Amino acid sequence: MGCLVIEDEADTARYICNGLKEAGFATAWCRSGADGLHLATDERWDVVILDRMLPGEVEGLRIVETVRALGKSTPILVLSALANLDERLRGLRSGGDDYLTKPFAFSELLSRVQALLRRSAGPDEPSELRVADLRLDLWRRRAERASRPIALQPREFRLLEYLVRHQGQVVTRTMLLESVWDYHFDPQTNVIDVQISRLRQKIDKDFSPPLLHTVRGVGYMIGVDA
Amino acid sequence: MLRLRGSVAFRLAIGYGALIVGAMAMISAVLYVGTIGVIDRGIDVKLHTASKQLTDSFETGGAEGLRREIQELLTDNTDQDTEVYLLLGPDGRRIIGNISESGGTVPPDRLTDQAVIRYGRPSISRLLPLGLPNGDTLIVGRDLQDVHEIEQLVLRALLIGGVVAVLLAIGGALLFRRQLEHRLAAIRRTALEIEAGDMSRRIPETDGEDEFTRLNDSINRMLDRIQRLMDGVRDVSNAIAHDLRTPLGRVRGLLDEALLARMPIEQLSDRARAAIRGIDDLILVFDKLLQIAEVESGARRQSFRPVALAEIITTVVELYDAAAEETGVRLTADIAGDAVALGDKDLLAAATANLVDNALKYAGNGATVRVGASRDGDTVSIVVQDDGPGIPANERDKVVTRFYRLDRSRSLPGNGLGLSVVNAISALHGGSLVLADARPGLLARIDLPQFDPTTFLGSDDVAPVGIGVDGAP
Repeated sequence: MGCLVIEDEADTARYICNGLKEAGFATAWCRSGADGLHLATDERWDVVILDRMLPGEVEGLRIVETVRALGKSTPILVLSALANLDERLRGLRSGGDDYLTKPFAFSELLSRVQALLRRSAGPDEPSELRVADLRLDLWRRRAERASRPIALQPREFRLLEYLVRHQGQVVTRTMLLESVWDYHFDPQTNVIDVQISRLRQKIDKDFSPPLLHTVRGVGYMIGVDA
Repeated sequence: MLRLRGSVAFRLAIGYGALIVGAMAMISAVLYVGTIGVIDRGIDVKLHTASKQLTDSFETGGAEGLRREIQELLTDNTDQDTEVYLLLGPDGRRIIGNISESGGTVPPDRLTDQAVIRYGRPSISRLLPLGLPNGDTLIVGRDLQDVHEIEQLVLRALLIGGVVAVLLAIGGALLFRRQLEHRLAAIRRTALEIEAGDMSRRIPETDGEDEFTRLNDSINRMLDRIQRLMDGVRDVSNAIAHDLRTPLGRVRGLLDEALLARMPIEQLSDRARAAIRGIDDLILVFDKLLQIAEVESGARRQSFRPVALAEIITTVVELYDAAAEETGVRLTADIAGDAVALGDKDLLAAATANLVDNALKYAGNGATVRVGASRDGDTVSIVVQDDGPGIPANERDKVVTRFYRLDRSRSLPGNGLGLSVVNAISALHGGSLVLADARPGLLARIDLPQFDPTTFLGSDDVAPVGIGVDGAP
C-alpha cells in the first residue's frame, strides 16, 4: 500500500509516516505544494494525505482539484487546522474524499485511511453480512447470532451494520455519528460509548467469543480478535 | 469661500436659491408680457378703431365734418390726458390737432412711436397717420407717458423682487448650513470621544421624529452592538485566561513530574495518556469556542434549509436513549404539530443534544426528561424538560455566559460552554433560549420562528429535511 503524505510540518509528517509504516504502508513524504502536485499527479498512490496550508504557490486544495481534473480517483484525505463547516465543505467539494481537522489522533487518521481504501476497493452490495457466527440480513433488517435472533432497534441495526461493514478496522466515534446518525456535530459526552455498550449487551453477552471490542482512546472494532 | 463651497448644506441651499431665482424670472417674464403687452395691444386696437371712426366722418361730412368731429373729441373731456389728434392739410400745415406738426417724417398707415410736442409738452406718443382722398393727412395717436410709467413700475418691482429672492436664498443657505452643522456636530463630537477611547459615549437624544433623530438612534444602536461584542471579547479573554490556563498547567505538571521522577515505562505511559486526555479536553473547549464564534458570525445562515423539528428530536432522543438508560433517566420524545424551522439541521441537533445532555447530567438517576417539539402560531419550540433540581432564578441569566458553572455542578465533568453554544445557535436562527422553572426541575426551550414557505427564497432543494411540508413551493 503506497501512501503519499504532503505536509510541510516535519513533526506532523513524521508522526503520520511512522504510524503508517507501522500499519504496513509504504510512505513517501514531500513538504511543498509544487512537489506534492508533481508526485500526486505523476505516480500511482493507493491514498494521498494532504495538508491544506502549504508553503509555496500551490495550495492544498488546488492539488486535489488538479488530480481530479486529470481524471484520477486516488482517495485523498485532506488535513487542515481550518475546522469550520464551510472549510470542511470546500475541502470535500474540491474532490477530497475525507476531511480531518488538526489536531487529530493518529488512530483516527488510520481508521479513516483504511475506510477510504475499502471504499475505493469497489462497491459490493451483499444481502448478508457475517462476522463469525453473527449474521445480518440486510434486506429484512434482522440480526442473529448462533442462529438465535437478536432484537435490535432500527438505529442499533444501522450501527451494527456499519461496524460489520468495517470489520477488522477501528471506527471512531465521530465516524459512527456521521454515518449512523447522519449528523455532523460533536456530542461532548460518551453517548456513543453507551450506545455501543448496549449493543454489546445484545450481541456479546450470552455468546462467545466477544466480537465487539473497544480500542482504547480511539474507537471500536468488530471482529473475532481484538 | 472655499470652506463654504465644500459644505453640502451651502451647495444645497445655493441650488435651491438658484431654483427660486429662476422661478422668479419665469414668473416676471409672464407678468411683464401679461401686463405691458396687453396694454400695448389694447392701444393699437383703439387707435385703428378711432382712425376708422374719423374716416367714416370724413366720408359722410367731408373735410369740414371731420374737423368738427376732431374738435368735439378734443373738447369732450374724455381721455383728455392721452388722446392725440392732428389733421394736416396737403401742404403739411396743421388744420386742427393737439400736437405740433410732425412734418412728413411719419410714414403713412404705420404705427410708430415718436417724440412730439403735445399741449406744449414733449411726450412720446404712438401715431397712426392716414392719407385722406382730399390730400389731407389724419394722424390719430395716444400719449404713452402713463404706459411708460407702468412699465417702469413693473420693471422696478421685478428687480427689487429678484434681489430680495437672491438675498433670501443666500440667507437661507447660511441658516440651513448652521442648522445642519449644529446637528452633525453632536455626531462628530461623539465620534471623536469614542475614537479617543470612551466607548460608553452616545449621541445625545433629541426630541422629534426627523431624519437626524432616526440617524442618531441607528448610530447609537450600532454602538451598543459594538460595545456588547467588545464586552464579549473581553469576557472570553478573561475566561480563556482562567479556564484554559488551569488545565494547561495541570497537563504541564503531569509531564514535568513524570520526567523529574524517572518513572518506570508503564507509569510514563499512563502519564502520557492522562496528558493526552487533558489536551483532548482542551481541544474540545477550543472547538466549542470556535463553534460559538462561527455561529455568532452568522455565516452559517447561508446554508439554512427548512428543518422538521420532529426529525431532530427523534434522532437526538435515539442517540441519547442508551445513555439515559444507563443513568437511570426516563427519556421520552413528545412531538405535536408540524413544527418546521428554517435552519441548520446539524446546529439545531447540536443545540438539542446539549440540552438533553445537561438534563441527563444534572437531573440524575430516577428523573424523567421530556423532549418535545411544539408549534404555537408563528413560533415553534424545542422543549427539554426535566424534574431535577433546576436552576435558581437568579442564576438563569448567568448560565448562558461562557464558562459559567453553578457551584454545585463544578464537581461534574463539563466546561461551562454548553448553554452558551445553545444560546448562540438560537440567536443565529432568530430565536431565543428560554430557561424556566418546571416546578420541579428545569424547562429549557428554544423558541424559533416557524418556517414560512411563501417567503423562503432558497434557490434549490426546498423540501424540508425530514417530513414534508404541505404548501412548500
